[in-house]
Amino acid sequence: MKSIAFGQYYPSNSIMHRLDPRMKIIMGILYIVTCFLCKNVITFGILMISALLLIIISKIPVKIVIRSIRAIIFIMIFTAVLNIFWTKGEDYELLLSWRFINIYSSGLYNAAFIVIRIVSMIIGTGIFLTYTTTPIQLTDGLEQLLSPLKVLKVPVHEFAMMMTIALRFIPTIIEETEKIMAAQKARGADFSNGSLVKRAKALIPVLIPLFISSFRRAGELATAMTCRCYRGGKGRTRLNVLRFSFKDFVALFLVIAFGTGIVLLNIYAPGYTM
Amino acid sequence: MSKLTVENVSFVYSAGTPFEVKALDGVSVNIESNRITGIIGHTGSGKSTLVQMFNGLIRPTEGKILLDGEDIWADAKKISAVRYRVGLVMQYPEYQLFEETVEADIAYGPKNMGLDDAEIAKRVLESAEFVGLGVENLKKSPFDLSGGQKRRAAIAGIMAMRPEVLVLDEPSAGLDPAGKKSIFEGIQKYAEATGAAVIIVSHSMDDMAKYCEDIIVMSHSKVAMMGKRNEIFSRGDELEAIGLGVPQMTYLVRLLAQKGIDLPQDIFTVDDAEAAIIELFGGAK
Amino acid sequence: MSYIKIRNLKYSYKDDNDEPIPVLRGVSLDIEKGEYVAILGHNGSGKSTLAKLLNLVIEDYDFFEGSIEVDGVDITSDDMTEDDIYELRKKIGMVFQNPDNQLVATIVEEDVAFGPENLGVPREEIRQRVDYALKTVGMTEFAHHEPHRLSGGQKQRIAIAGVIAMKPDCMIFDESTAMLDPMGRKDVVETIEKLNKEEGKTVITITHYMDEAVRADRVIVINDGKIILDGAPSKIFAQAEILRSAGLDLPQCADLLLRLREKGIKLEGEINTPEQCAQTIAQALNR
Repeated sequence: MKSIAFGQYYPSNSIMHRLDPRMKIIMGILYIVTCFLCKNVITFGILMISALLLIIISKIPVKIVIRSIRAIIFIMIFTAVLNIFWTKGEDYELLLSWRFINIYSSGLYNAAFIVIRIVSMIIGTGIFLTYTTTPIQLTDGLEQLLSPLKVLKVPVHEFAMMMTIALRFIPTIIEETEKIMAAQKARGADFSNGSLVKRAKALIPVLIPLFISSFRRAGELATAMTCRCYRGGKGRTRLNVLRFSFKDFVALFLVIAFGTGIVLLNIYAPGYTM
Repeated sequence: MSKLTVENVSFVYSAGTPFEVKALDGVSVNIESNRITGIIGHTGSGKSTLVQMFNGLIRPTEGKILLDGEDIWADAKKISAVRYRVGLVMQYPEYQLFEETVEADIAYGPKNMGLDDAEIAKRVLESAEFVGLGVENLKKSPFDLSGGQKRRAAIAGIMAMRPEVLVLDEPSAGLDPAGKKSIFEGIQKYAEATGAAVIIVSHSMDDMAKYCEDIIVMSHSKVAMMGKRNEIFSRGDELEAIGLGVPQMTYLVRLLAQKGIDLPQDIFTVDDAEAAIIELFGGAK
Repeated sequence: MSYIKIRNLKYSYKDDNDEPIPVLRGVSLDIEKGEYVAILGHNGSGKSTLAKLLNLVIEDYDFFEGSIEVDGVDITSDDMTEDDIYELRKKIGMVFQNPDNQLVATIVEEDVAFGPENLGVPREEIRQRVDYALKTVGMTEFAHHEPHRLSGGQKQRIAIAGVIAMKPDCMIFDESTAMLDPMGRKDVVETIEKLNKEEGKTVITITHYMDEAVRADRVIVINDGKIILDGAPSKIFAQAEILRSAGLDLPQCADLLLRLREKGIKLEGEINTPEQCAQTIAQALNR
């Protein structure tokens, strides 16, 4: 149960895990943009290969990646089917015609493209962000990336602190929820039987103590933070400051080169274009 | 026949994952009615898992739990009936209070049992009396009570189900001496009035010495020792090997023995020590 | 001059009907630099309020009288600026009861760094302070662990390290052992004593474990918002009647020897720990 809080992070020592989180956020965004730039058979082919390469480089088991793709399989099938039936391509070969249904070869291409695009985007965000970067690294990365916004009075530090505290307390609160549920079960509470209304009602004896204790925790934490001289982001220094290293720039260069290559191939490569 | 029998029970957390932990390993114990049994052991010795098995909150991966000789998991649908018969007070039970009044909170268990209003009202009063919670507190919000009173209200909520077996996990943790005393008095009252089998889990050897007749010592997911209080505490070396130590007065007797002063071996409380030492000085002057 | 000087301190809070509920009813107290003081009292006796006032972390100061001086600064004066309060909290560090509710970060060493980060300490020095603090509490090997996977005693030692890293003169432990198992308690008590004996910190520990109070140099008993006893442990624990009336117990050994004395057995010497107690009884028998 405790592992839920740490999302999908998969510990390993791949090069991807060791890149600077800020760079990974930037690269993740660039990669997603690149997914949308792909237009023809060759670029989509390359995109597919790049996604596979990402999995290999990051040493994330394929099983885990497939699991996250499976979660949205219905959306994928749905969009693919829509594309197959609704793409009107007079210039292209008519593969099948039955009553009002006309399937063109272009429809098949488009469906395949959409699927590759969605799968690559999921793999891209997973590999650059969630699988290889702990939530706390992501938070630090976001805080430092967005810190120029402080000039515009955007409370970047406060948001990051909120995230950190949430990440710190989620496992504690999950554990507490389990304890309270067990305690109420010992008094005859039944969370798994009966109508929806009945089950929702059964949760009241869990939610009320949970709220009360969360408020108490919040109060105590605030006092403890005050005692430790916390007064917002002003004048704060940090123990761990993120620093770009050579490999971060190499990685960024590769992603940019990949994106540029895709754009060029869109223009010059032959074959079906979306 | 014992009231509650644990037969060769094992339990594994997160089976089949790298985080697999064996919390209980072939544990067998017998719990009798009309007695207070203490369970002692370090954090992680398996004692909390064991007590949650007594009332079916955790199902053993191996072995059986028998209540009056019947397997409590024979029909998994009837497990809630077992929870009324084996009342479990978890650690820091005051965090489970949720009703608007103390009265309503104590009545939550009996209500789930489907008892009629007259019976519920009777039991609420009775339980409040067991734990020494004055009637004037029953209409208050549980959140307006003091820390010790909240704890007692929560314990009353379990007593109101009138369990045949009452299990309490660290009932006095974090309370001041006065609060602690009133909790144990309440437990003793319940035990005397109902003849229930009472099980107290505690870290404190001194509390065990004072309140428990039988003692079960848990260590590394197994039962390390089990027997009458006197017998267990006379095996001080074994207890120390487990890292638990003996009651302070028993320790004092051992220190005196090193100085060549021999006292009887069955000294566990201040009362025991006082009597024995007066004897040593040739009786009270 | 005393490090902490409290004069006739009175404090009340408001209940739901805006009625004042007195918590402290005139407390006067001097604590010297380097002292190891235990404050005893039952729940609601006012001992925690006293501790929180020393760090000015109580929000409602409406019903407040008397004065508190820390290191020569009157912290109750109206001239205290936000920066002055900040300076005060640098001098007096606090560790609370529930270890879960005082750790902020998801990695141990980052939590220890939280205080120094707030103080704007340069990065290299934060590193030194964090390493030193973790070493002092014996948790160096856990620097990269997640706090929620540690035991209660370990979490509490991390909380202590977080305060040590701020380099305070004085540390207050507000029932910091109440929620721990015996092993965790032992580790924390040993850490507290080490801070006093080896690091020279002034230590104020609030507890209701008598066997912890016995180990301090000085015990103060608070009941109903007033100091009723103040002195060396052996003196305090000879006052059975007063302690019991304050809802407190005696350590078992002290209790035993007092009872024996009441029965007319002559016992002289220290009475607090089992070792002292055995020595005292042995002496009496040999005579």
